[in-house]
Amino acid sequence: MRHMLFTILATVAPVTGFAEQDPRVAHIVQDHILPRFETLADASDTLANSARAECTATSDALRAAYFDAFDAWVSASHLRFGPTEIENRAFALAFWPDSRGATPKGLRQIISARDPVAMSASDYQEVSIAARGFYALEYLLFDEGIRALGDETYRCTLTQTITADIAAMSHAIEDDWRTDYAAQLLSPSGDGHYRSDDEALQELLKALSAGLQFTGDTRIGRPLGSFTKPRPKRAEAWRSGRSARHVALSLQSLNELSRMLAGTDEGLSRKLGEEFTRASTQLTGLNDPVFASITEPRGRLRLEVVQQSVGRIRTLVREALGPALGVAAGFNSMDGD
Amino acid sequence: MVMPNRRGFLAGFMAASLIPRPTWADVGAPAYLSAGALADGSYVLCGLTGRLEVLFQIPLPDRGHAAAAHPKRPEAVAFARRPGTFAVVIDCATGEPTAWMEAPQGRHFYGHGTFSADGRLLYTTENDFDAGEGRIGVWDATAGYRRVGEFASGGIGPHDIKRLPERDTLVVANGGIDTHPDTGRSKLNLATMRPNLSYIEAGTIINAVELNPDAHKNSIRHLAVGRKGEVAFGMQWQGEAAPSSLVGIHSMGQTPQLLECPPDDLRNMQGYIGSIAVSDDGASIAVTSPRGGLVHIYGAASGTLAAVHAAADVSGVAAHPDGFAVTTGMGDLLTIGETRISRRASGPIIWDNHLVAI
Repeated sequence: MRHMLFTILATVAPVTGFAEQDPRVAHIVQDHILPRFETLADASDTLANSARAECTATSDALRAAYFDAFDAWVSASHLRFGPTEIENRAFALAFWPDSRGATPKGLRQIISARDPVAMSASDYQEVSIAARGFYALEYLLFDEGIRALGDETYRCTLTQTITADIAAMSHAIEDDWRTDYAAQLLSPSGDGHYRSDDEALQELLKALSAGLQFTGDTRIGRPLGSFTKPRPKRAEAWRSGRSARHVALSLQSLNELSRMLAGTDEGLSRKLGEEFTRASTQLTGLNDPVFASITEPRGRLRLEVVQQSVGRIRTLVREALGPALGVAAGFNSMDGD
Repeated sequence: MVMPNRRGFLAGFMAASLIPRPTWADVGAPAYLSAGALADGSYVLCGLTGRLEVLFQIPLPDRGHAAAAHPKRPEAVAFARRPGTFAVVIDCATGEPTAWMEAPQGRHFYGHGTFSADGRLLYTTENDFDAGEGRIGVWDATAGYRRVGEFASGGIGPHDIKRLPERDTLVVANGGIDTHPDTGRSKLNLATMRPNLSYIEAGTIINAVELNPDAHKNSIRHLAVGRKGEVAFGMQWQGEAAPSSLVGIHSMGQTPQLLECPPDDLRNMQGYIGSIAVSDDGASIAVTSPRGGLVHIYGAASGTLAAVHAAADVSGVAAHPDGFAVTTGMGDLLTIGETRISRRASGPIIWDNHLVAI
């Protein structure tokens, strides 16, 4: 660990001082954040290469590469600060929820018009962010309506362009992390993005809280809808059968981040681990990849139980982890209104 | 939901024509309203005196957000916290709920509302998700708060709404953030949001202003109106790099002015203004950041930061004869004078986002 820390400081940051560093920030940057964006960049390369080799929607190799790269994104999707937010990269990689169907609408327009914008990945950066990224690709590979639209050659080119665009954005995020942002988090300074380790830890805590909120309220909450009107077709990435998988992957990542934030507080770390394990076990027990069972009261109840477990983790993070990091759990400060 | 008993209401009107109707003076002339929470987890709406003593305390069915005080009658409307679908009208003389308002199907309230100058109509900010635009609901305060109409808010995600003094011009903070009613708080359109400030007369937008394109992720959220009709607005930053400002002032028909704040002080507010108020003399503007645990006081004429005060989890703020009154989620009630912040009271009630002057 010492050695790795030294390496990263030597490679990404001009060492400007010897201020006492919080070891948790370095641990998280080195072992949680950077590996995730590296995996995303690598998997996105493989995806773009697969599409270049074989671009038909039913290609096994292409679909496998789509699964791997999407996994990599979901595992990093809670890290919504810094490089992911430049030029709306995260939104362009993952435009969801898409409550008004902007993704299929955008794709239909582009395909129907045989829009030449699909000829190059750099031109494609100009289209609506809803028609870019993993969710657009999911439509091209799995949605029967989109797969029957226009001509196959054009859709093939579009698939290649969208995957190349995904790879370009993933690399841009990774590059920014390596060349700039890791150092920002690791070496807070008066005129830097973070002025102290406390601010860096707060950013990471915020990523954890927001990730839990997104998984609980949106990944699970959207399909749950209301008791009288469950909405399984609002589940994330149901067309490719990935809805429950996204919840599972995000819980895995958030579990790791929370334990790293708990640091040497073993009691809290164990408690967090137990709560995450409970939620993950309940989710596995559902055995329902696209939450189809929620139209039945029993299935719905079981998914609600998972959502409640995520809620318990949020409470634990707010009431125990936050104060342990010196962030007060205020009645108003956590409210966001 | 309990609807007001119609016969009871009619009887009330009959009686009202025979005996003088109660006024705010009859309930001890509270100076402020605020929602809060008790230690047992239940929620209340309170009336506070000018000395920040709790005058009355009325149970609420759920966590409140802001309240609207009827301009004449001792009647308060408490709004559920976004994305709540109900608002309750409370007779502050008896402590009894006298009417319930429910958001129409597919809508939710954003937690703010204001009365017409004569107190006959109540306006509420609402989300019409399917249409992808904000609406202003109109409710008849003379007829049990029946819904009598609605019009466009002029943008997406209307949050605060205020009325300009001495006239029926409404000003609405269209925060620009699209939220889905099922989850209510997940932000759907941060990449494309375009907040604005809209002025509305008789249901028609007569003036709308947007900030510069580089500030399009600065969600205009809360409003305060000075005696001369000047509008101060507090923002919440949704972007990545630091915002240039979180507070602005605007007079209808003119160009908005963003108030200047040194970068370090601005960062301490953590991109988040919880509430805003204009002092009685119009010379100062106070904004709170519960996340930063800070109050910033700006000079209205200079347009620059004049003073900074610390108070943990501070949010509610309103004008006070000393300067400003502020409330916190720790249960403190404080005043801010020329130079210093003073605790006036501290109690078992922890105070919600907004302190509403009556």
